[in-house]
Amino acid sequence: MSLDLTFIGQIVVFLTLVFLMKKHLYGPLADLMEARSNKIAQGLAAADAGKEAKAKADAEIAVQLKEARTKASEIIAAAEKRSAELNEESVIRARVEAQQIVDGARDEVHAELNRARQTLRNEVADIAMIAAERVVEAELDAKRHAKLVEGIVSAGFGNA
Amino acid sequence: MAEQSHGEGGIAGHLQYWTLKIDESSPFMQIHLDTMLVSLVVACGMFLFALWLKGKLVDGAPSGAQNFMESVVGFIDQTVKDNFPVHNPLIAPLAFTVFCFIALVNTIDILPAFLLGNVAHMFGVVHFRPVPTNDLNLPAAMAVSVFALVLYYEFKLKPVHFCKELVMEPFTSLVPGFLKPVVMPINLILKLVEEVAKPLSLSFRLFGNMFAGEVIFLLISFLLLGGGAVGMAAGFFVGLAWTAFHLFIGFLQAFIFMILTVVYLSIAHQPVEHH
Repeated sequence: MSLDLTFIGQIVVFLTLVFLMKKHLYGPLADLMEARSNKIAQGLAAADAGKEAKAKADAEIAVQLKEARTKASEIIAAAEKRSAELNEESVIRARVEAQQIVDGARDEVHAELNRARQTLRNEVADIAMIAAERVVEAELDAKRHAKLVEGIVSAGFGNA
Repeated sequence: MAEQSHGEGGIAGHLQYWTLKIDESSPFMQIHLDTMLVSLVVACGMFLFALWLKGKLVDGAPSGAQNFMESVVGFIDQTVKDNFPVHNPLIAPLAFTVFCFIALVNTIDILPAFLLGNVAHMFGVVHFRPVPTNDLNLPAAMAVSVFALVLYYEFKLKPVHFCKELVMEPFTSLVPGFLKPVVMPINLILKLVEEVAKPLSLSFRLFGNMFAGEVIFLLISFLLLGGGAVGMAAGFFVGLAWTAFHLFIGFLQAFIFMILTVVYLSIAHQPVEHH
C-alpha cells in the first residue's frame, strides 16, 4: 500500500487524459451545446418578436377595420339620405308635371268648349235668320242684319 | 461477483500486485503493471470513444451516445457553475475527466472477482489486481495533481494573501503583538497540516472505499465456494446485492472526488476579502 513509480505514471496518464478529454470530448460537446443553446435562445427571441409583431398587426388591423366600418356606415347613411332626397325630388317633379298636364288639358277643354260655343252660335244665328225670314216672310239682307242677329243670339245664349 | 476460489494464500494472496521491480533495494522503484495496464486501457478507451463521438456529433437534436454524454457534460458544467465564482475553462473538463475516469475504473469492480485475474493467469501473470482505484497510487496521483493545481492557482491569483494566511492564521489575531512571532510557526504547521490533509483525504477516501469493496467481494467469493450448497446460494445473492451496492458506491465516490476537486479549486479562486 505504498507509493512507487506507478504514482508518477498515473499522474502522467491522468494529466494526459485531462488534456485529451478537454480537446476531443468535453470541448467539442460544450461548444456544440453552447451553440445550440444560443440558437434556441435566438429562436425563442425571434418567436417572441414575431408574437409581438403579430399582436401589433392585429391591433392595427382592428383599428383599420373599425375605421373602415365607420366609413362604410357613413357612406351607407349618405347614400340612403341621397336616395331619399332623389325620391322626394322625383315625386315633386312628377306632381308638378302631372299638374302641368292637368292644367294643359283643362285649357284645351276650355278652348274646345269656346270653339264649340262659337260654332253653335253661328249655326243658331243662321237658323234664326231662316226662321225670321219665314216668320216675316220677307227677305232679309244677311250681311246687313248679321250684326243684329249676332247681338240677339249673344243676348239669348249669353249664359250658356 | 466471485465465481471460484483461486490461488494460494487466501484473501491476502489476491491482494498482491503484478509488480515490476526496477530496484530491489528501494520500495519506490517498482511499477504496478496491472494498475498501469488497466488504467491505460480505460484511458485509451475513453480517448477512442471521444474520437468516435467527435466524428459523429450533430448540431440538431442529439441521440444515443451524444445525448448521454451531453447529459453528463451538462450535469458537470452546472455543478462547476454552481460552485465556481469565476470562469476557468480548465475546471469543467478536469471535473468531467475525474468523474468519468473514476466511475469507469470503479465499475470494473463489479466484474466477477477472479475473471480478469484468470485471464491474466492464462498469460502467465501470477498476481493481478483489476481495479486501479484499489491501488493507492492512482487516487494519490489524481489527488496530488488536483492539489498541485490548487497551489498553482493560490500562488497565481493571490500569492501575498496565501503566504500571509500560511503564517498568520488562525492564532495571530488572537494574541498580543509581542507574541505574534511566537505563534507564527504554530500557524504554519497547522496550515500545512490543513493543506496536506486535502490530497490525503481525497485519495484515501476513494482508495479505502474501493479497497474495502474488493475485500468484501473476496470474502463473499470464499463464502460462495466454501459453504456447500447453502453457502453458494447465500454467497450468490449476497454477492449480487453487494455488486449493486458497490456499483452505487463507485459512482458515489467518483462524484465525491469530482465535487471536492471543484470545491478545492473554487476555494483557490475565491477573491480575497478585505477587512
